[in-house]
Amino acid sequence: MLDTASSTAAARQHSPLHRPGTRTLVRTGVIALLLLFALLALPQLLSLYYIDTMTQVAVYCVVALGLGVLVGRVGLVSLGQAAVLAIGAWVAARLLFATTQPYPLVLLEAGVITMAAGTLIGLPALRLRGLYLALITLMLAGAITVVLATTNFPNGGHGFLGYNGSSVHIPAIRRPGIAASDPAYFRYSVVVAALMFLLVFAHIRTRPGRAWAAIRQSEPAALAAGINTTLYKLWAFALASFVTGVAGGVLAGAVHYLYSIDFPTQDSITLLAVVLMGGAYSLWGAIVAALLLQLLPALLNNWGVSADWLTILFGLGVLQVLTTAPAGLADQVPRDLARLGRLLRRRVRRGRPRRPARSGGGTG
Amino acid sequence: MIEVTDLTVRFGGVTSLDGMSLTFEQGTCGLIGPNGAGKTTFFNVLSGFVRPAAGTVRAFGEDLLSIVHFRRARWGVRRTFQTEQSIEELSVFDNVAMIHEHSRLAGGSRRGDVLGAISFVGLDADPDARVRTLGAGQRRLVEVARAVVGRPKLVLLDEPAAGLPDEETEHLSEVIRRIPEHTGALTILVDHDMSLVSACCETTAVLDFGKLIASGPTAEVLRDERVIRAYLGTAEVL
Amino acid sequence: MPSWQDFQPFIVSGLALGGVYALSGVGTVVLYQATGVLYLAFGAVGAMGALIAWSLIHAGTPEWVAWLVCVAFGGAVTLAYGMVFGPPLARRGPLVKAVATLGLTLVLFGAMDLLWTANGGESRAITLPTDNGGFMVGQVQVNWTQVIALCAGIALVVVTGVFLRYTKLGTAMRAMANDREITATLGVPVRRVEAAAWLGCGLIAGLAGLLLADLVALDATTLTFLVISSLAAALIARLRSIALTFVAAIAVGLIHDLLTPIQSLSNYRDMTPFVLAAAALLVLSRHRVISLSREDA
Repeated sequence: MLDTASSTAAARQHSPLHRPGTRTLVRTGVIALLLLFALLALPQLLSLYYIDTMTQVAVYCVVALGLGVLVGRVGLVSLGQAAVLAIGAWVAARLLFATTQPYPLVLLEAGVITMAAGTLIGLPALRLRGLYLALITLMLAGAITVVLATTNFPNGGHGFLGYNGSSVHIPAIRRPGIAASDPAYFRYSVVVAALMFLLVFAHIRTRPGRAWAAIRQSEPAALAAGINTTLYKLWAFALASFVTGVAGGVLAGAVHYLYSIDFPTQDSITLLAVVLMGGAYSLWGAIVAALLLQLLPALLNNWGVSADWLTILFGLGVLQVLTTAPAGLADQVPRDLARLGRLLRRRVRRGRPRRPARSGGGTG
Repeated sequence: MIEVTDLTVRFGGVTSLDGMSLTFEQGTCGLIGPNGAGKTTFFNVLSGFVRPAAGTVRAFGEDLLSIVHFRRARWGVRRTFQTEQSIEELSVFDNVAMIHEHSRLAGGSRRGDVLGAISFVGLDADPDARVRTLGAGQRRLVEVARAVVGRPKLVLLDEPAAGLPDEETEHLSEVIRRIPEHTGALTILVDHDMSLVSACCETTAVLDFGKLIASGPTAEVLRDERVIRAYLGTAEVL
Repeated sequence: MPSWQDFQPFIVSGLALGGVYALSGVGTVVLYQATGVLYLAFGAVGAMGALIAWSLIHAGTPEWVAWLVCVAFGGAVTLAYGMVFGPPLARRGPLVKAVATLGLTLVLFGAMDLLWTANGGESRAITLPTDNGGFMVGQVQVNWTQVIALCAGIALVVVTGVFLRYTKLGTAMRAMANDREITATLGVPVRRVEAAAWLGCGLIAGLAGLLLADLVALDATTLTFLVISSLAAALIARLRSIALTFVAAIAVGLIHDLLTPIQSLSNYRDMTPFVLAAAALLVLSRHRVISLSREDA
């Protein structure tokens, strides 16, 4: 086994990285089809009510994506993403009222400023792990929620806060010229969401993604491999905050009017719940999470059923996911989806991947 | 050459390492001792996870302890862990390449270096295969490949053969013996398998309760009465 | 800047609030020590108990029965949760266990919104008969409920301290906090001890819910998230010391209420528990050693 023959064989076997296999091509094809369907067909098929809903879905896809990076890829639980979304929405609203900048620029700025805020939150958080990290994000988010309740969202007023408490006529947050109508804005939000997914995908497939995988598996081993874990964890926070900030900007344009009661603390918890249920690791899970969070309530509302049933469902979902997850909080696809995936794959491929048991650590 | 002087580590009330002074020359050195003797603690000091209460470590003329932990890999420290830590979701190639890329070695030579390390350890798996699809023995080899890729100065192997069947331990033993000549690195091997230690290591040191109780040529050390007693009457040492 | 006179009533209310936070804090800490679970559903359980009590009173049940039901409800739900979800999660890290209790929080929250809809009109309130009686301390009116709240907090701290130190069950709990596995091998009935911890914590949650509903407001959201204030106190005490939890709880309650008369800060006073808890967590992390075991999760 130590002979040279196997080394040349290995060299030959090892194709240049990134030559797309059939599986990747199929997956890209499916994604492209879904995107086209969403952009072209959906606006025709759905009523305005559901188009608004799907715009919300697009927004929360991105928020779930950010949380998925933190929880699913790095293993950091943040209970404050709703507050980050609120910051993004606030910044975007302020800029949209105060300036006449083009929409993409505003979204970018909202993303960058939110990224700075999120990274600031991440800095102290990095000294903590696991439970304490989650708690501090909850605390900081709670503090931000209180501040927001007092400062309110910009509504066209002057001053830094842009809030005029006594306005009679509150202007609506503007939309981009090309996407003023609801169906057009829906398409706009899908495009923005797709770009955010692309950004995250690019991260995952390159060095930061691999570093995150190492950190999630074992921080000491990652350090021993030369990975600057603090840097990469901050990077994850930065990325999650950036995309969530952009999502906040899209949200501002979608709803036209923002109120602090739209961002209760509870939302951060429900967000974590749906991300866990959809699968924190896979990018598809973010879409499932957003559908759970926004489409289901809209459907229920339409049918006259209270959305509170969903809150109960999400709570049960969390319990189910956690009690059946094979290993860490982060690295599992919900049992049922995983089983389905394996079934499908078995049709295509022979044999099941082995999962050797892990041995416990000893003492030295 | 690694010079350890008076190394002391305390955790709360427990003294894990007690004034350990030792010099590791070149080649492969064994480090043995009963459970709790301080072997892994010593490795953790070398990796930078544990700050000693006292003592110094000079490695190849440099003060190792003054280097920030994540930079030690770039400097040339490589380590395997008792519970293997290859990243399941990544491929064999990516696992080994990660060490290479974070050691800031030239990107151009990366593919060659990585594939060379994989073939050096005799891993007969597809480099693009995900590590989660490999068996325990193969995963250990991936870890060793991670430890030898690039230009390591110090290779720390923490019970690499734990849980492996005899045949795979044999193979591992062969690989470990060739590490110094292949990489020029100083290798320290911690293990409980005495046949592995005597096969691979020219010299061996023995820790017990954080103290160094013997060191020297492996065969002599393994016959030393103090060492046998430390293992609580283990009659068969070889 | 408000005068000493303006502050006085808030000292009283702050102490009362702190007393209840101490109740919740102690309950949380003891449960965490015995089971490794940070019971984030504490507030929700108390809130639902209080709402049930309200409904019962509304339907004509004698008040004291309703209050007992509230406390019992807290105990029952918490015990049930602990018995059902404790074992499957026992080996997981504290993060997973805590997030699981968030699942319970959502279930209770949804149920509360469903059963006691918050549509406009009547706001609900719980009044205890002790609200009416009272006495004057200096120029401040103190009602008996506030006294009870503070005394309950003090009493629980003392009783728990004694219990943990001097009783067999309490010692067993302390042993389990140290090392569950070893305690089990010593022949301690681990499951029963845990059940006792869950039940005790749940009963306290019910009582705290009742008192907070009286002192603050009977509103699902408010009560559910007031748990964060007691969490702050528990965190300041590093989830370990009962005495410190008490002191911290009083401090949190006092600071929160004392900010009320200060115009510029008043609106931000609800930030108090969040800020204090965050500060406590950061101080806690100062001497962090890199964890050498697998991720807490």
